[in-house]
Amino acid sequence: MKAIVIYKWARATASARVRESGEVDWGAAKMTAGDDDPAALDVAKAIAGADGDVVGLTIGDGEAAWALARGVATAFTAPQVGPLADESATAGALAQAVRQLGEVDAVVIGDDPAHPGVAPALAAHLGWPVVLAVGSAALSGDGRVVITRKAGAEVETISLVTPVVLGAVAAGEEARPPGMMETIKARKKPIGELSVAAPAEAVTSTQTRRPARSGAKLLGGEPAEAAAALVTELRGDGLL
Amino acid sequence: MTADADADVDFDVIVVGAGVAGCVSAFQLATAGRGVLLVERGAEPGAKALSGGVFYCRVMEQVFPGFVEAAPVERVITRNCLSFLNPSSFVNIDYGDQRLASPVNAVSVLRAKLDAWLAEQCESAGAMVMPGFRVDRLLIEDGQVRGIGAGEDELRCKVVIAADGVNSFVSRDAGLRSKDRTNHLAVGVKSVIGLDRAVIEDRFNLEDGQGAAYAVVGDCTKGVGGGGFMYTNLESVSIGVVLRLDDLKRRGASATDLHDGFLNHRFVAPFLKGGELLEYGAHLVAEGGLAMIRDLVKPGLVVIGEAAGLALNTGLTVRGMDLAAGSAIAAARAVDGALEAGDYSPATLGEYRQSLQECFVGRDMETFRRAPAFLEGTRMFNDYGPLLADVFHGVYNLDLRPRRHLLKTARAALRSSPVGWLDLARDGWNALRAL
Ligand SMILES: Cc1cc2nc3c(=O)[nH]c(=O)nc-3n(C[C@H](O)[C@H](O)[C@H](O)COP(=O)(O)OP(=O)(O)OC[C@H]3O[C@@H](n4cnc5c(N)ncnc54)[C@H](O)[C@@H]3O)c2cc1C
Repeated sequence: MKAIVIYKWARATASARVRESGEVDWGAAKMTAGDDDPAALDVAKAIAGADGDVVGLTIGDGEAAWALARGVATAFTAPQVGPLADESATAGALAQAVRQLGEVDAVVIGDDPAHPGVAPALAAHLGWPVVLAVGSAALSGDGRVVITRKAGAEVETISLVTPVVLGAVAAGEEARPPGMMETIKARKKPIGELSVAAPAEAVTSTQTRRPARSGAKLLGGEPAEAAAALVTELRGDGLL
Repeated sequence: MTADADADVDFDVIVVGAGVAGCVSAFQLATAGRGVLLVERGAEPGAKALSGGVFYCRVMEQVFPGFVEAAPVERVITRNCLSFLNPSSFVNIDYGDQRLASPVNAVSVLRAKLDAWLAEQCESAGAMVMPGFRVDRLLIEDGQVRGIGAGEDELRCKVVIAADGVNSFVSRDAGLRSKDRTNHLAVGVKSVIGLDRAVIEDRFNLEDGQGAAYAVVGDCTKGVGGGGFMYTNLESVSIGVVLRLDDLKRRGASATDLHDGFLNHRFVAPFLKGGELLEYGAHLVAEGGLAMIRDLVKPGLVVIGEAAGLALNTGLTVRGMDLAAGSAIAAARAVDGALEAGDYSPATLGEYRQSLQECFVGRDMETFRRAPAFLEGTRMFNDYGPLLADVFHGVYNLDLRPRRHLLKTARAALRSSPVGWLDLARDGWNALRAL
């Protein structure tokens, strides 16, 4: 099967600074791999299978060799599409790019809680079904894709026909990030460039409230006193 | 090195650390057509550098003509103020000069922006910039440095340039530096306070795009060896204290308390009023001057920038970035020569040591050799501020008693100060020699 993994399609929210005015200052932050991007790649690889094909796709100004350093044979980028506030517009740009990559069975993207609308909107643009919160995937004999996902305390198994859009979530840190040698080799490989027109944005973000700051408490004194005070505080807050 | 070993390399040069020193040397060597790998442990170049500073940037013109226009600099520093700060008085030596604007002598910079720009220049020049990897060992064979290790990977090269900053593990690994004595180290605690561009220009009395740099001694450190600094960026003010570790420890003082006290000082707080805290952090600074450097060269290795102990705190200026750039230029030239000759022995690479000594870096390090020792004297931090304030109080406090000449006023102030005539003479002499 052929699966597309989409990566580095947003900036890390950790690089954003919310000013007192409510304005968000992104500084010079570039598009970067999200926490769920490695999980999306694993799902794409599982769907493609040993003989299949995984194609990497990214947009914007991030380092596109990310997927190549992780064993993907070919990767494409649409550098003109910058970070957009409108999640549907981001999805629209991604859909344009996906259509340029020929027939595919699955498009896998990180199911990022900071951008919850992108994966469903991508499915809408493509006219395909979508499943979110995907933890793992496998191929079944009849050409269907079988995924698992956590639903509360249960693990749900779903069988799907293709083509499909999957939103993947990571269970933890990336198991084995590539070393320097793999990264250097990946950087030397060619990356295809796609021409995608940045869609008009229908949504703009006008204000971001600063996250509520719960004042930090500093407990001084001798280590033993401080530890005792900490226990008292935690008990007081019902945490112990 | 044999031809075999030469054929077996991944890069001509591997530079460890994409600060000012690393980027400048990588850029120079890539421009000369050498295969360069620039490794930086931060996720992005500049990501790890707290801060910024006042960059005495004339040296950058040699590397990037038009540096001030092209690079992301904040303000052109045209006002330098040395401030003796006391609890309820201060005496400033405030020097403003438009000659400092043309040619530009110093700029304020924020490293997150500057280092990212420098790394981009390296990339455009053909260097491979590799952020997100920490070099954790040197490959040394028969006393010759042959590359670096990072995790499972080993990369071979002809010359390694260690530009990994104040805590340089690379030069320690190579046996070029011992563990630093603590009085060679200082801790810097710093905040960046956001303010409107126009508000900054009003408060600091600046023309558009120009900036001020304050060096402060006295009450900002409550007598701990070190000083305070404050300088203007385009839309923020960087302010903090640099404190000698040994003195801090001896007095049981807290660096963060001193930092907070400085920002809230009655004469400092008005500059920052209504500002928004954008960044806060702490960092080690090497302050040893020449005494810290054991050697700069080993077969296949050169050490540059703050990794080589090249930093100067003269009391009037804190310098590190310009020395980093200067040493990088000298090293790049020597390494290029060594690559040309195919000889990476200390005899050839030692060219670097030589040209460093001959350029402004070596000369200034030598000139200010005594500054660290002079700055260890405590009178500078405790006693001169009140003394100066008493002199000026005698001059300006027209309390209807008959005035005395300045000399007499000064003499009276000196009598009630812990500073004796002899101290004054000795410190004056030492200051002239050290600074
Ligand atoms: C509070 C404070 C104020 C200062 N003010 C000024 C000032 O006003 N003007 C001035 O000129 N100087 C100032 N300095 C000094 C100045 O910051 C340094 O001298 C200068 O940054 C040295 O440059 P460098 O390139 O040698 O090292 P750095 O800028 O420290 O760069 C070293 C780089 O190496 C990377 N690195 C380290 N170890 C590894 C590893 N193992 N693998 C990969 N990468 C690694 C680091 O992440 C870093 O990016 C100040 C310093 C402090 C702390």
